[in-house]
Amino acid sequence: MSQSREMLPRESLLWIFAAQFAALLPQFALLPLWIVCAWAFAVYWRLEVYRGRRDLPGRTIKLLAVALAVGGLALSYRRWFALEPMVALLAVSFTLKNLELVSRRDAFLSLLLAYFVAATLFVFEQTIPHAFYGAVCVVLITAALAAQQGSSSARPRRALGLSLRLLAQAVPLMLLLFIVMPRLGPLWAVPQNTDGASTGISDSMSPGDFAQLSKSDKPALRIAFDGPVPPPEQRYWRGLVYSDFDGRRWSQGFGVDPREGGRVSWGPPQQPLPAVGPRYRYRVIQEPTHNRWLFAMARPHSDTDGVGETPDDRLLKKAPVYNRFAYEVRTWPRETLGAVPDLSDFERSRNLQLPGGGNPRTRAWAQELRAKNPDTEEISRRILQFYNRRFVYTLKPPALGADSVDEFLFESQQGFCEHFAGSYVFAMRAAGVPARVVAGYQGGEWVAQEEYLLVREYDAHAWAEIWIPGRGWRRVDPTAAVSPERIRDGLRSAAAEEFMQDSLFPLHRISVLNRLRLQWDMINYRWYQSVVSFDSDRQRGLLQRILGEVSPLRIALFIAVPLGAALLCVLSWLWWSGCSRRLPPASRLYRKFCRRMARAGIERRPGEAPRDFARRVRAEKPHLGPMVERITAAFEKAAYCEDQEAEKQLRRLLRQWRVADGWW
Amino acid sequence: MQKLISHIVADIGRVLLGKEHQVKLALACLLSRGHLLIEDLPGMGKTTLAHALAQVLGLSYKRVQFTSDMLPADILGVSIFERDSGQFRFHEGPVFSQLLLADEINRSSPKTQSALLEAMEERQVSVDGETRPLPEPFFVIATQNPLHQSGTFALPESQLDRFLMRIGLGYPTREAERALFNGVDPRAQLRQLQPRIDGATLQKMQRLVGQVKASESLLDYVERLVQHTRQSPECAVGLSPRGALALLHAARAWALIHGRGHLLPEDVQAVLPAVAGHRLHSGSQGDWGDGTHLVERLMHQVDIIAA
Repeated sequence: MSQSREMLPRESLLWIFAAQFAALLPQFALLPLWIVCAWAFAVYWRLEVYRGRRDLPGRTIKLLAVALAVGGLALSYRRWFALEPMVALLAVSFTLKNLELVSRRDAFLSLLLAYFVAATLFVFEQTIPHAFYGAVCVVLITAALAAQQGSSSARPRRALGLSLRLLAQAVPLMLLLFIVMPRLGPLWAVPQNTDGASTGISDSMSPGDFAQLSKSDKPALRIAFDGPVPPPEQRYWRGLVYSDFDGRRWSQGFGVDPREGGRVSWGPPQQPLPAVGPRYRYRVIQEPTHNRWLFAMARPHSDTDGVGETPDDRLLKKAPVYNRFAYEVRTWPRETLGAVPDLSDFERSRNLQLPGGGNPRTRAWAQELRAKNPDTEEISRRILQFYNRRFVYTLKPPALGADSVDEFLFESQQGFCEHFAGSYVFAMRAAGVPARVVAGYQGGEWVAQEEYLLVREYDAHAWAEIWIPGRGWRRVDPTAAVSPERIRDGLRSAAAEEFMQDSLFPLHRISVLNRLRLQWDMINYRWYQSVVSFDSDRQRGLLQRILGEVSPLRIALFIAVPLGAALLCVLSWLWWSGCSRRLPPASRLYRKFCRRMARAGIERRPGEAPRDFARRVRAEKPHLGPMVERITAAFEKAAYCEDQEAEKQLRRLLRQWRVADGWW
Repeated sequence: MQKLISHIVADIGRVLLGKEHQVKLALACLLSRGHLLIEDLPGMGKTTLAHALAQVLGLSYKRVQFTSDMLPADILGVSIFERDSGQFRFHEGPVFSQLLLADEINRSSPKTQSALLEAMEERQVSVDGETRPLPEPFFVIATQNPLHQSGTFALPESQLDRFLMRIGLGYPTREAERALFNGVDPRAQLRQLQPRIDGATLQKMQRLVGQVKASESLLDYVERLVQHTRQSPECAVGLSPRGALALLHAARAWALIHGRGHLLPEDVQAVLPAVAGHRLHSGSQGDWGDGTHLVERLMHQVDIIAA
């Protein structure tokens, strides 16, 4: 206790600030700016105290600072019980602690808090760079702790060296705990920020949305298959179904979203699944979208907790995807499902809905098609043929006016997937066929010998589904009629010239960089797979693989055996370094010689100089005299004249002697 | 070089019979620019040793017999008004010599003692507000009677520390005593001694001392030795850093006297009792000044080779 009451070593102060800065740096981007200023101010004040220009603040000023900080937090965040205000509160209290950094105990408190602040980083981000930065923080904070020992322990090399050594020793324990520590689910959930901008596909589609998405090469999904892999033209990752058209915008329509009372079945599927196994099994890792919809092929089912299924064959998550989210999916292609019930009247009218007016040419054309061809599929084929003959697939279509469908179909005839899907569904509906627009991703790029499929934002795609009586919903992709390579090879080859044309640095044209990016993505994927998403299931799996069977006894052994081995290693290392490592070689050799002499009956006294000892040996055992004298001379030269040759000679002499001995 | 030193040792040995070790220690002390304190009973040859050293090394030599009524001016010198020039002129005291023998230093008052000791430390003298450097080289060989003798003022520890070494001479050996009885007259021998070197050569030799190599192993040993004096329960106070440096320096001089360019543990052991004896004491009242035995005991507790 007396030690903790001591003043903190002066020179360690900079270390504390460095550690604080490192811990706070990632938060600075998230926190309101005034917290950064508050930290800088507190540090400045403390440094002034350090230089003797100012006193530590009194009680009044401290109270004022606390009041200001609380007020600032209240003004900056309207909600209290959310993650950001809590992190901000932590950061502020951490900052204010600098104003009373006096004793060593305060320093310990501040630094232990710094560990905690550094750990909050992982609430927001869990990527490799963040993990690396977290490790750097831990090294710095530990170094700052090491610097508290006083007596020049604050020297950068000493503090950092000690810190690295300590942490290196802690690594095996960390790995062990990572594997063994029981993984509890979160005991309580802190609401995360919901106002973060959502990325990717949105809940409505108007002309230009997808062209916007095509400019982003951010990853959206990573999909790893277990078993068969669908061919490229089957890789449609459905996310949203738009049934409502207002003349310009396609949207889900009222009552589909679960917040508006949409039906979602959580748990076991309500529609019966066929007895035959699913065609595809895969695991999707979705980047945070701040939305609830997930992406899967039709018709999906997921056993992952918190994932539900909608009547229109999509997957939904209970809470929005704020962090990277992984889910297991099984997919049965629709053709394998057998008999389908008829479309309900409500669904039929929803999927035939058209705005009251507008686009007269399209309506007339569709009705004409309808009149000529009673068969639904024939109508569809005709429309697709129409696309195929004249239309151009481009990322930069001309702007469209009020009757967007008319203008697109009969005038501009240039467009992007959303134009094709939208106009196709419009025409089908006008022809009396229930149809809907489906949005999601299409395609993907293999990474690392088909380990997983990387789907990026620019793979966002819109297509259509039409209802065929007796067969159910069928996917129709009008884009494929115009630009089959978009479906087969992806956007990059379909729109080679236009692809990512606006990007500042057309890095995607350099294939080496593309390869590097894919590799980096793969590293991230494996990191996520093995570290971040290591939950209790995976833990059980791993322990089972290592131990064969998970029982308390085995786990105890699993912990105790490596621990015991490690302790033994440390013990032997201590012993070894304590007894011989610090000795220079010459002294070590001379000690050996002394041990031999002791066995021969003449023990060197501690304070006896080598020469005196040699003299005594000569007096007591004259036959040893010459050898002992040569060894002593060599030792003196080696140890006190630092003569390398003499050291070798000493070694040689001792070796010869061993050969020659046997007479004692 | 080696020859020269052995000549010097032999020359002094002719005057001071059978005291080769002490002569070498005294020489080592002078070579490492330290002052020497000789402590022994009256009539053991303390003065003879000092005189012989001065003679052989070719140094200007003055002797002061300390008494209880001496004043600092008696040693340092005084300014006297000269009527002819109408000015004060400084008359240098005996301290302005290359080798000063301060006989029976512990018989004078502390005031006078400290005047001399200041001169020893600073190698300069301030009189009447003027600082005067002392000649180079400058040595003080002080002798003192054992403390239990009457009429002595003990030198305080801080002042003892100014002396690099304290040696005792001890009774002569039988052969030496017999030679004395047979009519060998040390004083006559003393008069016959010729200087082997002069002050300048001595200074060169002093510089050589600094070049004697001390290996890591040896420094380790010295460090352990010093640490042991600081930690041992037998010792009331450990060896100060100044004491440790003195030890190393004296050991270097000892190595040089024995013609070696590097230090051996023996060198350290040889000078250790003389260097550390007056700096250490066991703390118990009766043992005061008995540091030499203590040092020898401690010396045998520290392993030369390793910790």
